Amino acid sequence: MGKLRLWLYYFKHAFSSILGNRLIYLISTGTISISLLLFGTFVLISANFSNWVQSWEKSLSLSVYLENGMDDQQKEEVEKAIQRLPGAQIKEFISKDRAMRDLAETLGSQAGFVEGLSKNPLPASYEVVFRNGDLSREELKQIKASLEKVEGVEEVQYSEQWLEQVEGFVHITRILGLVVGGLLCVAVLFIVTNTIKLAIYSRRDEIEIYKLVGATDWFVKTPFLIEGAIQGILGAGVALSVLYMAYSLFTVRTIQLFGLPVMDVIFLNTWQHALIVFLGLVLGLLGSFVAIGRFFRF
Amino acid sequence: MIQLFRVSKYFGAKAALKEVSVRIRKGEFVFVTGPSGAGKTTLLRLMFGAEQPTEGQILINGINLSRVGRSKLDFLRRKIGFVFQDFKLLHRRTVLQNVALASEVTGEKWTTTRKKTHQLLRAVGLAAKEQAYPLELSGGEQQRVAIARAMINDPLILLADEPTGNLDPEITRDIMILFRSINLRGTTVVIATHNKELLRNTDQRIVFLQNGVIHE
Repeated sequence: MGKLRLWLYYFKHAFSSILGNRLIYLISTGTISISLLLFGTFVLISANFSNWVQSWEKSLSLSVYLENGMDDQQKEEVEKAIQRLPGAQIKEFISKDRAMRDLAETLGSQAGFVEGLSKNPLPASYEVVFRNGDLSREELKQIKASLEKVEGVEEVQYSEQWLEQVEGFVHITRILGLVVGGLLCVAVLFIVTNTIKLAIYSRRDEIEIYKLVGATDWFVKTPFLIEGAIQGILGAGVALSVLYMAYSLFTVRTIQLFGLPVMDVIFLNTWQHALIVFLGLVLGLLGSFVAIGRFFRF
Repeated sequence: MIQLFRVSKYFGAKAALKEVSVRIRKGEFVFVTGPSGAGKTTLLRLMFGAEQPTEGQILINGINLSRVGRSKLDFLRRKIGFVFQDFKLLHRRTVLQNVALASEVTGEKWTTTRKKTHQLLRAVGLAAKEQAYPLELSGGEQQRVAIARAMINDPLILLADEPTGNLDPEITRDIMILFRSINLRGTTVVIATHNKELLRNTDQRIVFLQNGVIHE
């Protein structure tokens, strides 16, 4: 049999088997869908968490406080020193007067406390943000030290302790994500293999007859593997559709805390879609391969 | 054609066959008989390579089954037709598809397979039932489909395990006539049966098995 004719034969038999055993295939495809939905939800939560951490890191800013009585040329030197830092961008310049106004606004009814001061004690500052937004704590420490060496810079501040906690949290979450994701994959493979095994078990007579009339192992196995791959891809398609529907129904796309936007809820990107479809394909193929192996003892 | 040298088969501690030696020549028609549990089915399954002997050697057309790999065994089976008491037909496939199956696995072109299937079904008297499903046929008709399937690759050997076990005497006679005509075309036929009626007035060779031992 020519290779093309052989593959046509395999596909024809795979499709007619699926149609002939609709209920069994519906059950196993449903199992794959539920398993991948579980996995997809996990990926979606991870993606959103990662997105949140990234956007928080992007919003991280440095405050560069200046010494009193600096002229425009000295300020320009400081600005140049900031702009030389990779990815650094001056968000705004806060003058001594503006700093005082901001403080008074923040204090509200207690503003009289600062208004009575004869001299403005607050320094002018530059608010600096970073475009790539993925700076480690060590890098920030180095930036702080180098800026503090620039003439006219009194002090550089950022929320070091908070960043330390977030980084620690991100680190733990990543490890947890790998462990949970790995365990989920193993559990899904176990469930899928057993479901496909049940589907194949109902057709063990067919396998036996094929072997008795002299079919090679691969001649029998290939249509089953094709069926597994089809189930896997279909299962992934169903899981992604359900996940998207759930995401669409989740109307509040921006989670707010105390009226402030905390995070935007995003959906899976192209690569994550591809990952779930690929996982479905691998699960279907591997599940069929492992399951069918048991029935080759004739 | 078929040679067994001191073949024993044990299932756990229980011996199904004990030091069986038998030689069946090309074109012979042989009945293997004996009471239930005598080892008839085991003997046929060993000849077919469905079981491996615990001891001894089996040669089929000069090929030692103990030394042949799995894939070679698949190819060898295409030259051995096997007919079962329970027919072993696929209920979701038509008569035509069931018979064609044994030819399809060899990689034969569909046009050739179709032609051979049609000829064989005509030979066994089922040409009009090509599109029927096995469960729509009588026991005798199902057995004839199984025989047609066993014959499609022009086998050198035809093994049949209680082929008339579930059939009434009239149909049994028809099936035996079919086996004789197959044998007359040069195929070696080995039939395992405990049906004494089949053995009465036969001039064919009879191998008698009891408790896993041959008495010829």
